[in-house]
Amino acid sequence: MYGGDEVSAIVIDLGSHTCKAGYAGEDAPKAVFPSVVGSMDQIGAVDDLKSEKDSDSISEPRNDGRQTESDKEKSRRKLYVGSQALGYRRDYMEVVSPIKDGIVVDWDIVDNIWDHAFRERLLIDPKEHPMLLAEPSSNSAQQRERTAEIMFEKYKVPALFLAKNAVLTSFASGRATSLVVDSGGGSTTVAAVHDGYVLQKAVATSPVGGEFLTECMMKCLENRGIVLRPRYSFKKKEGRPGEFQTVELDFPNTTESYKLYSQRVIASDIKECVCRVPDTPYDESSYANIPMTPYELPDGQTIEIGADRFKIPDILFNPSIVQTIPGMERFAEYAPSIRGLPQMVFESINKCDVDIRRELFSSILLAGGTASMQQLKERLEKDLIEVAPQAARVKVLASGNATERRFSVWIGGSILASLGSFQQMWFSKMEYEEHGVSYVQRKCP
Amino acid sequence: MSNASSGMGVADHSMNTFMQLKRKKVHRYVIFMIDEKTKEVVVEKTGDPGESYDDFIASLPDDDCRYAVYDFDFVTEENCQKSKIFFIAWSPSISRIRAKMLYATSKSRFRRELDGVHYEIQATDPTEMDLDVLRDRAR
Repeated sequence: MYGGDEVSAIVIDLGSHTCKAGYAGEDAPKAVFPSVVGSMDQIGAVDDLKSEKDSDSISEPRNDGRQTESDKEKSRRKLYVGSQALGYRRDYMEVVSPIKDGIVVDWDIVDNIWDHAFRERLLIDPKEHPMLLAEPSSNSAQQRERTAEIMFEKYKVPALFLAKNAVLTSFASGRATSLVVDSGGGSTTVAAVHDGYVLQKAVATSPVGGEFLTECMMKCLENRGIVLRPRYSFKKKEGRPGEFQTVELDFPNTTESYKLYSQRVIASDIKECVCRVPDTPYDESSYANIPMTPYELPDGQTIEIGADRFKIPDILFNPSIVQTIPGMERFAEYAPSIRGLPQMVFESINKCDVDIRRELFSSILLAGGTASMQQLKERLEKDLIEVAPQAARVKVLASGNATERRFSVWIGGSILASLGSFQQMWFSKMEYEEHGVSYVQRKCP
Repeated sequence: MSNASSGMGVADHSMNTFMQLKRKKVHRYVIFMIDEKTKEVVVEKTGDPGESYDDFIASLPDDDCRYAVYDFDFVTEENCQKSKIFFIAWSPSISRIRAKMLYATSKSRFRRELDGVHYEIQATDPTEMDLDVLRDRAR
């Protein structure tokens, strides 16, 4: 049992798109940075002659077995974490994400991200602060144990608690029972929370998230012949006073993944500025003649966006639209199995007990970055009223404040960790040493 | 088993007041609030049996959370006079997130202590705890 002194806890929410970290008790996270990192292979950057010499000198360890070799390779990889480090273009730097389909595949990168958050952004020593980590609602036991292990062994935190995203959002809005629709960067998760517990059988996920929509936006723009020039590839030169000319710069050693990443940043901004969810399901003919909205790209080019403004957000509700976008064929095979948002909500509620369905229908919470899209709440409400049984009152709630919607999981964690009465719930280092890592399942349900 | 609850205690006076409402019908409603200093759920206000539902709603603050128990009298279709106790978790959307969180996490612990509650309502604005909603639930 960790008594809890005046030292405040740290709350971290590592999502698939952004990582949010900050002190408990505050209104918003101090550190918000991308969860992707730049990775540069030191071996790759060295020229051929030298690498031959190197391979000679490490031929001995290589005979020991593949394990050592891959470890050595990994340790030679340099990681660049944070928006500042990522924003600076470097030769041969690849952009890597540690999370695939909601599951952590590369713990080394996650480790580096936490390290960056503690030492460079929050400027704290993890030994002195209890940690509250937000985890996906359908996290596996193995992942939780690995997380606890790294936290206690490497960072030597005094206490730890793992809370599910959906539960934090639900509490942050004052409800112990609700249906949480968390639409973030990497995926959309619909989870039913009842009295503070996530009902595992009613959790549904879909790969359609902010990043998916950004990629569709990029393909749409490409199809119309618009070229997104990444920020590093051009420079503004002043020809005459007040007049600027764009000069293209060429960096042949930039990796493809970095170029795509930079273009995605621009496309993501376009998506956030101009996209709106249509009131009715999208179809080509009715939106063919709507007025176009202008948008200025960083290189000075102005582009016009028309029907795409409404087509892209409608993918959330009707994923089969993806098949009409040329360039997105690789999703065409499993697009039919992806459900639209209203179907996911309806299915999720139906998997729960009959008694609580009514309450779930009247407390549907929206959270996550993608949920801040304009008109999403109204459209979801309308679609749900159509499929819901007659007697049920459908109510979709979303916090008015955009920051609150985006960071609702983090804010929930911040408040939970600062409640005086929560201090007895921490999973302390002593308990970890006494009972082992599997005790985390009991302490953090 | 605990579930991210906040570990808030329940004052004896609160339990006794609830018992009075349940057994002796001394109160029409009881409003509880969380006292952060003593870390307990305490009684804020009680209402006479003569007061109406509107009086009850008026006693709830607009921008802060509360717990409440209300003794609801009604007549069924078979013309029986019945009385059911409602537990209401009042958490208006305009209140501070900290308050919402505090009340939401302490609710299950408190609720477990109140033996004899028939129905539970979660309300974030006045329409959700309208008299119609209660009538609908109580059959």
